[in-house]
Amino acid sequence: MSDDPIREIAETATRAAAIAAGLDAAGAARRLGEDGLLGVLAPESVGGLGLPLSVAAAVVAATEAALVPLPVAEAVLAARLLAERHPEVAAAIVAGEGVVTVATAGAFTDEDGRCSGTVGRAPAGLAARWLIARTGNAGAAVLLDLRAEGVTIEEERGLDLERPPARIVARDAVATPLHDIAGFEADLLLLRAAGALGAAEHCLDRTIGHVSNRRQFGKPLVAFQGLRFELARQKLSLEGARAALAHALSLAGQDPRAEGIARLVARSACGDAAPAIIEAAIQLHGGMGFTWDLGLHRQLRRAREAAAALDAVAARAALAERLEQAWAA
Amino acid sequence: MSAVATDTEAYRARHRAWLAANLPARWRADNPDYQGPTLDEAKEWEAELHRQGFWGVAWPRDYGGHGLTLREHLVANQEIGRLPMPESFNSIGKELAGPIILAIATEEQKKRYIPAILEMREIWCQGFSEPEAGSDLAGLRTRAVRDGAAWRVTGQKIWTSGAHRAQRCLLLARTGSMESRHRGLSLFALKLDQPGVTIKPIRQMDGNAEFNEVFFDNALVEPEDALGEQERGWAAAVRVLEVERGTNRIYRAWRLEEELRHLLTVCRTDPALARIIENPHMVQRIAAVQVDIEVHKRMIEGVVEDLCAGASIGGRGSLIKQHWSDYHQRQAALAVEILERASYPPSPAVARAQQRFRTVYLRSRAETIYAGTTQIQLGIIADRILKLPREG
Repeated sequence: MSDDPIREIAETATRAAAIAAGLDAAGAARRLGEDGLLGVLAPESVGGLGLPLSVAAAVVAATEAALVPLPVAEAVLAARLLAERHPEVAAAIVAGEGVVTVATAGAFTDEDGRCSGTVGRAPAGLAARWLIARTGNAGAAVLLDLRAEGVTIEEERGLDLERPPARIVARDAVATPLHDIAGFEADLLLLRAAGALGAAEHCLDRTIGHVSNRRQFGKPLVAFQGLRFELARQKLSLEGARAALAHALSLAGQDPRAEGIARLVARSACGDAAPAIIEAAIQLHGGMGFTWDLGLHRQLRRAREAAAALDAVAARAALAERLEQAWAA
Repeated sequence: MSAVATDTEAYRARHRAWLAANLPARWRADNPDYQGPTLDEAKEWEAELHRQGFWGVAWPRDYGGHGLTLREHLVANQEIGRLPMPESFNSIGKELAGPIILAIATEEQKKRYIPAILEMREIWCQGFSEPEAGSDLAGLRTRAVRDGAAWRVTGQKIWTSGAHRAQRCLLLARTGSMESRHRGLSLFALKLDQPGVTIKPIRQMDGNAEFNEVFFDNALVEPEDALGEQERGWAAAVRVLEVERGTNRIYRAWRLEEELRHLLTVCRTDPALARIIENPHMVQRIAAVQVDIEVHKRMIEGVVEDLCAGASIGGRGSLIKQHWSDYHQRQAALAVEILERASYPPSPAVARAQQRFRTVYLRSRAETIYAGTTQIQLGIIADRILKLPREG
């Protein structure tokens, strides 16, 4: 496909994200749903667009930059995951009629469609209608309607301010088994990388604006070479991570072998670069950078959580195990 | 799409097979019996590489090129990169002078210079830097003055790599006043074998003397060896240099990967080194190098695709140059740090790797200095890519 659909959707996403950022999770879902942005990956049968992962990455980059209070990556991937076997849920997610979240910690036990146990760190969990959570079996998961009997939800402490994480306790609750979510989880990592990088780029742009206007010692800060070099270094790390991510996205679903390497490289590059760029942005804003009101900490909180999930150290350890594969590619 | 992909793979396979069959084993930097080529051997080898389609890939057929695109150029270079092959003795001719000649020279000059470069009849060196004009060419003092239709050159160049074996110098000299700064500069294809030229080697920190001082005392430039329009050619050459910064030694990412492969392959043959590279901290540093290599490959492929699509790459050459020169220094330091701890006495294979990577390590220190220092590249990224204002 050409670049144009990506650019067009990215522009739509930027506009919608600016509005959605001022709403609550349910409102944000409805707003993004109206523009078709939650259905970029889902097939037409559930109202989606059936576009490649790179398009979803552009959407998530925009919503993370704008601090939309919705787990958008989770929504677009869940809609695709559920489209075939649970089309009514997928269609509702695509339309923005309900929020879906994913528990990133813990696992339920699943016995004959009834699950029990505690999972947590589900972003915007209190606002969610559906939850995807792992079960004890490798790669297996369940879809849980959070209104089902035997489910309790409570807020947890976390970094992300717009999507406070929740703990979900299930006691013999009816749930729908999902068989293999390994691909879903791998794609979720890539989209989280895209989101963190989108946020980092936004913060870098904001910093350039700041240092161009702020004057000290009789000249704008940007006239100081130390600062120009620092910004150039951040740009270098942003572009390197972006190149790695674009490659992993372009291979999504094509060559499983190269894709594995490309995903590990993207996790390492983006996991390291994104939070570091935002940290540098805070530094270059001086005392203002540390304030609650300036708000750069909001992107940092989300990007630092994403980086923890991307786990650059584990990605590099896995890459080291597969160097021969990388060399053969 | 698939037909193109098949063609590319066939093209790649042919190049890979040719190199596998023809690269002399003793020239491989990973061979315990390594012995690099002599100048005559290198000339013959590079001329053959050109005939076999490894050089001049994207240059027009009219001048001895192969008339293909930058995509094939990249594929051929990836195959060059995969092997521990000798570096070109004429990379200035092939990657600096050649592209500038193709951009600004006359038809007659292209027909004269380009085939001589590809056939290795003329090796070129680069005469830009001077003692008082390093990164800032506004201070360039070497002067060319008219002598009838010809030119006479007086002055001094420095850091001139390979001048001692070159036949021609791509000379940047002042033809206007000092006050004209960048504007009063012109390019020449000066013949080095003449009485007015003195070449003095400079010993480098790796012990070799690859670069030189070159002195010009009323040296002659024939009328047919002035390049481009006087005092306009340099501006055009700067645009060529910008692209070259992104694409020169385009095999580099694949060669640095070959270096990593050589390092780890050797380490696995030595019990002490095999243990060191399994250390979790070392594993992280090794994998970080591979990540940098992968990013480097993607940057190169992106630039090739954009150039093939007719897009300009702006200052992106600076991003690429800064990326590789930074990580190659980390990679080279890591290699030495590991290899110096080998079992004693080292096996011939380990001893060869030690020797290779000592040189690589020392030479890598030049990589953030030549072709625009780190500080110059960061300045270009700030000015040209981020477009940061100078004043408020």
